[in-house]
Amino acid sequence: MHEMGIAIEIYRTCREAVREHGQGRLQRVRIAIGELSAVEPDLIRFGWEAVIVDGPDAGAELEIDWCKADQRCPRCNESKDRSEGSWLRICPDCGTPLEVRGGDELDVLEVTFETDDDAAPP
Amino acid sequence: MKTIVSIRRKALAASEEHAEELRGRFAESGTLVLNLISSPGSGKTTLLETTVGRLAERYRIAVIEGDVATERDADRIRALGVPAHQVLTGGACHLDARQIETALETADLLPADILFIENVGNLICPTTYDLGEDFKVVLLSVTEGDDKPLKYPAIFSRADVTVITKADLLPYVPFDLDAVLEHVKSLNPSGTIVIVSSTTGDGVDEWCDLLVERLGSKRES
Ligand SMILES: Nc1nc2c(ncn2[C@@H]2O[C@H](COP(=O)(O)OP(=O)(O)OP(=O)(O)O)[C@@H](O)[C@H]2O)c(=O)[nH]1
Ligand SMILES: [Mg+2]
Ligand SMILES: [Zn+2]
Ligand SMILES: [Zn+2]
Repeated sequence: MHEMGIAIEIYRTCREAVREHGQGRLQRVRIAIGELSAVEPDLIRFGWEAVIVDGPDAGAELEIDWCKADQRCPRCNESKDRSEGSWLRICPDCGTPLEVRGGDELDVLEVTFETDDDAAPP
Repeated sequence: MKTIVSIRRKALAASEEHAEELRGRFAESGTLVLNLISSPGSGKTTLLETTVGRLAERYRIAVIEGDVATERDADRIRALGVPAHQVLTGGACHLDARQIETALETADLLPADILFIENVGNLICPTTYDLGEDFKVVLLSVTEGDDKPLKYPAIFSRADVTVITKADLLPYVPFDLDAVLEHVKSLNPSGTIVIVSSTTGDGVDEWCDLLVERLGSKRES
């Protein structure tokens, strides 16, 4: 349910981008999902398939860049390699709150679309 | 012809634009807006009833209730003489900024000093949707078990305020309060934790003080 709603929004955002730059059929879409975004890539893929399956963009490919968060301890002054997707924000070595940068991405990065030959130019 | 367009745009751009518009509107009206998120039944509406009882004489309060079905929660608030609007999501498990806009158009909620938005009971997807609020509040009742912050880390790390509710039941349920406080702190080092019981009123003053203080600092800035 959660990812389905997000897949619908991703599709809307892509369509909007196409509309701003011309018109045509979506071929490929590249998105970024952060490990702290609470969004599950596999479910987004299922959602995406369900959203496009019966429409004009059926078959459009979805590529997902998985983005890790940079979690830095200001006291140890180094990046802490916490276990994948860990949400705990305390330095495992000294207990100081970590500074977290990134990891919450949920962005559309790139949209590839194909214009029909007979379609009007943008 | 093939065209490749690079955009770096929030996937929820459409929804987030609405949230930003709402945020502007709330800044103009000087309204403190809270987005209350929790599992079903953890005591959101009851805490709002208690809060209204404490603050409604001094502050203009308004409430937007989100539920899958029924006007029950809005009716409970209206019964106290406070304006409330019920959003019926008809199955959807979260509120979206567009529904808040509609609520503001439909009901006379603004101007208000504090607007509470009670989200649909769900610890997962309301986390992702910005409603133009000043901050999110997550409620965790002691009867839900002490493992919830670690199991649903996203909401606990994003909510500015965590409210532990139904504290009057602590003697009757196995709930390791110290462990929960530690987990919430490590998920969200800069967050605030309040422990309340709407039944006995314990902690409610502290909760209300926090609201008044946040309202004050919003209006100063
Ligand atoms: N013992 C005790 N019970 C409480 C307290 N607060 C709420 N309850 C009870 O918990 C149940 C659910 O409370 P609600 O306030 O309706 O919970 P909610 O989070 O608004 O529920 P939904 O809107 O359905 O998600 C009710 O039976 C309340 O009486 C409390 O502080 N102590
Ligand atoms: Mg309720
Ligand atoms: Zn450290
Ligand atoms: Zn949802």
